[in-house]
Amino acid sequence: MNTASPKMLQCSDMTVLERQNACLKWQQEQLQQQQQQEQQSYFSELSGVFSSQVQGFQGGLVSGDSVLGDMVMTRQVKPDPGLETAWHEMEKVDMAAMGFGPCGYSNGPDFDMNYAISRTSSCPTFVAAAVAAQAVEVKGKESIVSEKMGSTVGRGSFKKRKVDTLQNSKVVAEDDSKRIKACAEEGESKITGPNTNKSSSSNNKNKKETSTGTSKENSKVSDVQKPDYIHVRARRGQATDSHSLAERVRREKISERMKYLQDLVPGCNKITGKAGMLDEIINYVQSLQRQVEFLSMKLAAVNPRPDFNIDNLFAKDVFPSCATNFPAVGMSSEMANNPPYVQFNPVEQVVSSCGLEMGINSLDMALRRTISAPVSIPYASFLDSSCFTQIQPSATWDVELQNLYNVAFDQEGSMPFPSQPFTGTLLEKQNWGPELI
Amino acid sequence: MNSSHLNPSSSLKSRFTTRFLRALTRINARKPISPSSPREIFQRYRRIKVAADKSMASSVRSRRTWSRATLWKLRSRSCLQLASLGRRRSVKTSTITSRQAIMKKTSHEIENKTTTEEDHQDRFVGQADKLRELVPGGEAMDLCNLLDETAHYIKCLTTQVQLMRKIVDFYSL
Repeated sequence: MNTASPKMLQCSDMTVLERQNACLKWQQEQLQQQQQQEQQSYFSELSGVFSSQVQGFQGGLVSGDSVLGDMVMTRQVKPDPGLETAWHEMEKVDMAAMGFGPCGYSNGPDFDMNYAISRTSSCPTFVAAAVAAQAVEVKGKESIVSEKMGSTVGRGSFKKRKVDTLQNSKVVAEDDSKRIKACAEEGESKITGPNTNKSSSSNNKNKKETSTGTSKENSKVSDVQKPDYIHVRARRGQATDSHSLAERVRREKISERMKYLQDLVPGCNKITGKAGMLDEIINYVQSLQRQVEFLSMKLAAVNPRPDFNIDNLFAKDVFPSCATNFPAVGMSSEMANNPPYVQFNPVEQVVSSCGLEMGINSLDMALRRTISAPVSIPYASFLDSSCFTQIQPSATWDVELQNLYNVAFDQEGSMPFPSQPFTGTLLEKQNWGPELI
Repeated sequence: MNSSHLNPSSSLKSRFTTRFLRALTRINARKPISPSSPREIFQRYRRIKVAADKSMASSVRSRRTWSRATLWKLRSRSCLQLASLGRRRSVKTSTITSRQAIMKKTSHEIENKTTTEEDHQDRFVGQADKLRELVPGGEAMDLCNLLDETAHYIKCLTTQVQLMRKIVDFYSL
């Protein structure tokens, strides 16, 4: 096994490796001595630092890897400022050394040390699990990060990296194999291996052209206990202090939720950017609230008939969706073909000639008339709301609405919606009308 | 994240429908003096709107911040109406000021961000405040939770609108 000392390396980055090896060994000692629980945040930070370096290393640093293979990063790392500074130092050096080209290493696959970087994020993984699944094996009590240098691929396929099985001697805590698996899976995004099994996600991380085949990966197994905070690993080329890490987590969460909202709000697919999206969301929420108000006003205006039976309503409404939505589905497809406003004309004419109270009643009649046409009930309701977008020019309607608002102003100090913006937003509603069914 | 969002299931719909219809019948049972006057209609409209919001919030129970905030608001408002204004106003204002304090705090936290896109972010923050006004109970939430609440709120609002439309149609037939 090419556990040669760094002297074998002839590259200029030997000093880096030497330093790294020294640190690793020292760290190993530290870890083996200590049995206390690690501090997750510090550990994640370390691993973040380390992984960023690891990915920076060219694959050809096999011998360096072999030494690194002994590197042990357990959860028992004591937060040591000295170690931290060493890591940071190494990180800096690594950044400098990233530019070096492939070194002439031709180490065979003698290394049975494996890398399995676990992205120490408690969020569910989104990385292909194939490699990680086999990579992570909990075999002992000690949680150790070991590297496996698989240099079989050679320098040509430096981009593809893979996680091999963990070293048996150095094992992750066996208590939480599931969690370890998850971590390893998560870490796969950072995993780089010589073989080409790895998905290309790691390639994205590999900004620089890594021409060496071997890769270094740290399989850092997280703590046995369930941490109550989120681990984030710094990506390559990004700052790694805790503030920016936390900031990145926050930003990712926010963008996740924005995407979800984008699916929720209709017509938001074309809009990119948070500000525009927020605008749309705000408009949509406002329009929904106004619709609720409008519908409640309509309900207030519609007088229940004396023969109104609430039980019938229950029977029809509580188990409603199936019955009444089927025609809606059919209608909506029809609507998509025909411009829906064509059918609004009769309604519009009817309404424009009436006052508010009369208007609503006649609207109901008009609805019934349209219902007799091949229009389903939900469609009629859609018609109800959408047709008002067409009634904007109707002066009488506006006047009646104005009367109502004046009454409102008399009665109460504040009115939920002034008339002008109301009609304005009704116009906006056009876009959402068809989709609300 | 999606699993944390409650899809407006049929149980939510049925809960909302029953509550709302119950309230509706109660409102309609009041014998109005002049049933068709705008004044009367407006009064009924207010009551119906309150009933709609209340039934929606009660259907969601207290699982969501916005539903809690809505219920709290409605209850405090009804308390205000029942009791004398002078007595209760102090309570209301104190809560409002505490809310404003929280809101200031959260918006200040948001200001501490990376200064990469200052203008964009400022506009973003302004819109976030606007969203806070819209979503009940959103004043005291950071952006992440606010977006969560907004998503759930939008879902429930669409459900509410759908069901109310159906009720309206049923009424109008």
